[in-house]
Amino acid sequence: MALHLNLLHEEILEQRQRQRDPLKIGIMVLCFLGVLMVFNYMWKGYKTLEIRSRLNQVQADWAKIEPKVTAAQKRSAELNSIISTTKVLDGMIDDRFFWGPFLEKLSRCVALNAQLTSIEGTVLEDNRLSVSIEGLAAGREPRAAAEELRQLLIEQLGQSYNDVKVEFKALEDLDTIVKIGGGNMAMARFSLGVTFNTGVAKPPPVPVRKSKQ
Amino acid sequence: MKQFKLTKDQIQKLGLSAIGFVVLIYVYFTFFLGPLNDSRDTMLATITDVQGKMASSKNEMMKTANLEKQASNATSRFAALKALSQEGAPIAWFPPRMKTFFANQQIDKASARLEGNAAFKEPDLANWMRYNWLIELPQADFSTLGTAVAALENTEPLLSITKITIHALPDDPQFQQISLSASTAILKR
Repeated sequence: MALHLNLLHEEILEQRQRQRDPLKIGIMVLCFLGVLMVFNYMWKGYKTLEIRSRLNQVQADWAKIEPKVTAAQKRSAELNSIISTTKVLDGMIDDRFFWGPFLEKLSRCVALNAQLTSIEGTVLEDNRLSVSIEGLAAGREPRAAAEELRQLLIEQLGQSYNDVKVEFKALEDLDTIVKIGGGNMAMARFSLGVTFNTGVAKPPPVPVRKSKQ
Repeated sequence: MKQFKLTKDQIQKLGLSAIGFVVLIYVYFTFFLGPLNDSRDTMLATITDVQGKMASSKNEMMKTANLEKQASNATSRFAALKALSQEGAPIAWFPPRMKTFFANQQIDKASARLEGNAAFKEPDLANWMRYNWLIELPQADFSTLGTAVAALENTEPLLSITKITIHALPDDPQFQQISLSASTAILKR
């Protein structure tokens, strides 16, 4: 076997040590990582810019719509307010007591031999009406004439109102004599208290026919 | 097998490289990628928020359009009721209006006096006020009065007669002296 002498041994060792220098390798690795990070950052930045432009687009669209939406919301609130106010006002209008029909019915009940001198009517809070009627009745039986008026009031008012009560508060004969239709008639003074519910009278119940079995 | 033996100098250099690596990673994530991600997340959240608002606004606008159609009756009725309240203080225009009304019904010398006013309890009527009036008719016959009262109730839907007093005139029993207590709902101007 031939003898082989490596005279460059030290130089080769030095060169190998230079190549395996950890600092140099570390710097190379860091540089490589740094380049990767720069590329990653640029990619992410590009994506972020894309999102920013999308955001700008969306915000521009919203800026166009927003005034319309605000106006629509305002109008909606206004309409709801109008609807509820109209509902309440309509309720008030419908719940009123109409005096015209009542006065008409009252005038129909007064016969020729009776005269009303005073009427005082008040709408009470619980949907009831209280009326005080004062007047004079004439006839051979003036008290009967006053009673006839009371009965007529019950009948007429009962057609339109609920829970009608007509009661005498006072009924007294007078000494005065009046001439009606050529005859002398006695007179009586009466005072009636009328109360009823202002609601519409319920129709009488329809009789139910029992089916033959 | 060949063993790697690191010298002290090499270990120091390796340590330095590791520190450099850690610093690089920290700086990258803390000062570059972190803020970028935060900004991206904020923008995405804003986009989602605005898109949600846009979607709900479309519903809102559709609802308003439908409500507009449904409320056409209420709107016209409300306008008609509103038109019953004139501009200015009610005490300035209501008594003359009543006087003219009853004069048209053949009842002269009618007068209306304000007895008081109060706000409504209902929150929906916050813009309306209740005014109480005493309307006096010194002379009228019963049938004319009945017709006039019926006409008043029909032409003034917001007026409600709460009390009526009719007394026959002692000198002329054919005629009556009438006083009406009425309340009206009037829009605040």
